[in-house]
Amino acid sequence: MSITASHISKTFGDFAALDKVSLHVPAGKLVALLGPSGSGKTTLLRIIAGLEMADEGSGHILFGNEDVSLLPPGKRGVGFVFQHYALFRHLSVAENIAFGLRIRKGPERPSKATITSRVQELLALVQLEHLGKRYPTQLSGGQRQRVALARALAVQPKVLLLDEPFGALDAKVRRDLRRWLRNFHDGIHITTLFVTHDQEEALEIADDVVILNSGRVEQVGSPQEVYDRPATPFVHKFLGNVNQILLPWEGIIQGTKVPVEENVAFVRPHDIELLRPETAQPGALATVLDLHAAGPIAKIAAKRTDGRGIIDIELPRAYFDQLNLREGDTILLRARLEPVCQTILVTKPPMT
Amino acid sequence: MKTKNKKSSETGFFATLFTVSNSGEPQARRDPTWMRILLSIIAFSFLFGFLFVPLIAVFSEALSNGWRVYCALFIQEDALAALRLSLLTAAIAVPANVLFGVAAAWAITKFDFKGKSILVTLIDLPFAISPVIAGLVFVLIFGRHGWLPEQELGNFLAPLAALSRKAADAGFFEDIFRALTSWLDEPRIIFGVPGIVLATIFVSFPFVARELVPLMQSQGRDEEYAAITLGANGWQTFWRVTLPNIKWGLFYGIILCNARAMGEFGAVSVVSGKIRSETNTLPLHVEILYNEYNSAAAFAVASLLAMLAIVTLGLKSFVEWKTTRT
Repeated sequence: MSITASHISKTFGDFAALDKVSLHVPAGKLVALLGPSGSGKTTLLRIIAGLEMADEGSGHILFGNEDVSLLPPGKRGVGFVFQHYALFRHLSVAENIAFGLRIRKGPERPSKATITSRVQELLALVQLEHLGKRYPTQLSGGQRQRVALARALAVQPKVLLLDEPFGALDAKVRRDLRRWLRNFHDGIHITTLFVTHDQEEALEIADDVVILNSGRVEQVGSPQEVYDRPATPFVHKFLGNVNQILLPWEGIIQGTKVPVEENVAFVRPHDIELLRPETAQPGALATVLDLHAAGPIAKIAAKRTDGRGIIDIELPRAYFDQLNLREGDTILLRARLEPVCQTILVTKPPMT
Repeated sequence: MKTKNKKSSETGFFATLFTVSNSGEPQARRDPTWMRILLSIIAFSFLFGFLFVPLIAVFSEALSNGWRVYCALFIQEDALAALRLSLLTAAIAVPANVLFGVAAAWAITKFDFKGKSILVTLIDLPFAISPVIAGLVFVLIFGRHGWLPEQELGNFLAPLAALSRKAADAGFFEDIFRALTSWLDEPRIIFGVPGIVLATIFVSFPFVARELVPLMQSQGRDEEYAAITLGANGWQTFWRVTLPNIKWGLFYGIILCNARAMGEFGAVSVVSGKIRSETNTLPLHVEILYNEYNSAAAFAVASLLAMLAIVTLGLKSFVEWKTTRT
């Protein structure tokens, strides 16, 4: 079932956490809500879940075609997974998962046998069959997160909402679990919206990414779209590393006609070409400040000889080794411009 | 008292009571031996002088004339009446404060509303005020020259009295309503049991709330939110999620609240009037006996309060031990 939020605003006192935000999650997709901390992403997720209310008269939340804006969270049919899991600490894993079914009343409550078999099913789904009797404190972070997921799925929600699902885990577990989540989602196809501040995470597993900044949507698109064609300077800076090149950039950037009042160009470090000055091709001269060659990508920081700032360059390791660079060497830089990859974006006010 | 613990993982109940554990520490981080001995001596002589000696004194004085006399002093009618009144007062004050404390802590920690900080400050008020003044407040309100003298209160309560009389006449719980009617006709608060109960509720009401607020704050709201998204209503959320999480903290608060309710002297002393067998609680009775130079009896009753204190401390350490394990 799809999720549609239209023109949602939320203010805390004078602070506008969300400013007429609209969002659409197509049925069965895995969508990331990405933004820096304080961008309003968690607030939006909680409003969709019903844990917070949007400002009065500011918009609607639809699940499919049904307006759920005025329903309490328990009636919306959402599965919510909290950043710190929020498992019931006094209940075992199996009891945690059964909670949503046990509290139902009258004919809606499944029989004990049904609940037990449903819990077993869910434990198998999250690959924790043998841990049903444990308590939350006896589990690792990754296991707790999966229990929280199973608990949310037990009530057969229409949509799944995850708040920084991997935020509290260490790097290795994080990577494993996010791949696991992607596969898991491919298996059950429940409409899922997850909040994250980690761009790598969003780009790796989401079908679509919604980028939020200061309470507004900056861009919506597939991971490749938002990375290759950032719609705004913010997206450009937020997704991956980027050089902000100040005027004049003659030499570095070839053949682009740039209106004079605009003064910053964005070029990703791996789109900067590095040449020996002897080649006498067009480009800008710079001095090598710093070399980092650990890992498959070599990182170089170079200072423009015209004093217009420092440019970061990323090169494949093999090419870097060929160049045999030293600190203090003079090099020639220019942007590699490909029409598919519009890495240059020009804005009016100087970006800081 | 320094118990060499066999293994730090084996934290028995009494082990946690008396552990001074640094056996696993590297040599460099330990203080010199003479200093450790000196500090231990200071600490234990302080404990001994200020806690154990008085406690021993109470029991030795109480038992100075032998067991039989001790027991005889106990079952005096006045002492028994004082015990009954103390128990009755605690039986009313403690549940009232549990109800208030849980409600206040739940509201303060799980919801945002205007005037929250005022409520938090007000809860601490009884700690800040001298108990004597707390008692005096009730005298000022209900006393002869107060805001709401008992005669006027009687006028207010007249309709209730009529209602209660009707119920009694109709034979509906006759004894209870008969007694209620006679109290409503001539309500007595100061120098009566209601005054004692009111004063006790006042002085003991921060305990439960003060115990629960930090605990519930540290637990956060996420578990409640999780329960709500799973379809639980407010009542189910409270009984199935919040209460199990705070049960030991609540128990701890109840023990402390009860200890204060049974032991309160100052506030109760002002409102009680100290009528023997009627408005005398245990601490007041101790004072009366002592002033009559009946020190053996005074110490006998005091030993009862001391035993209550020991039981309270035992329960308190038990709860602490229990909560550190879970």
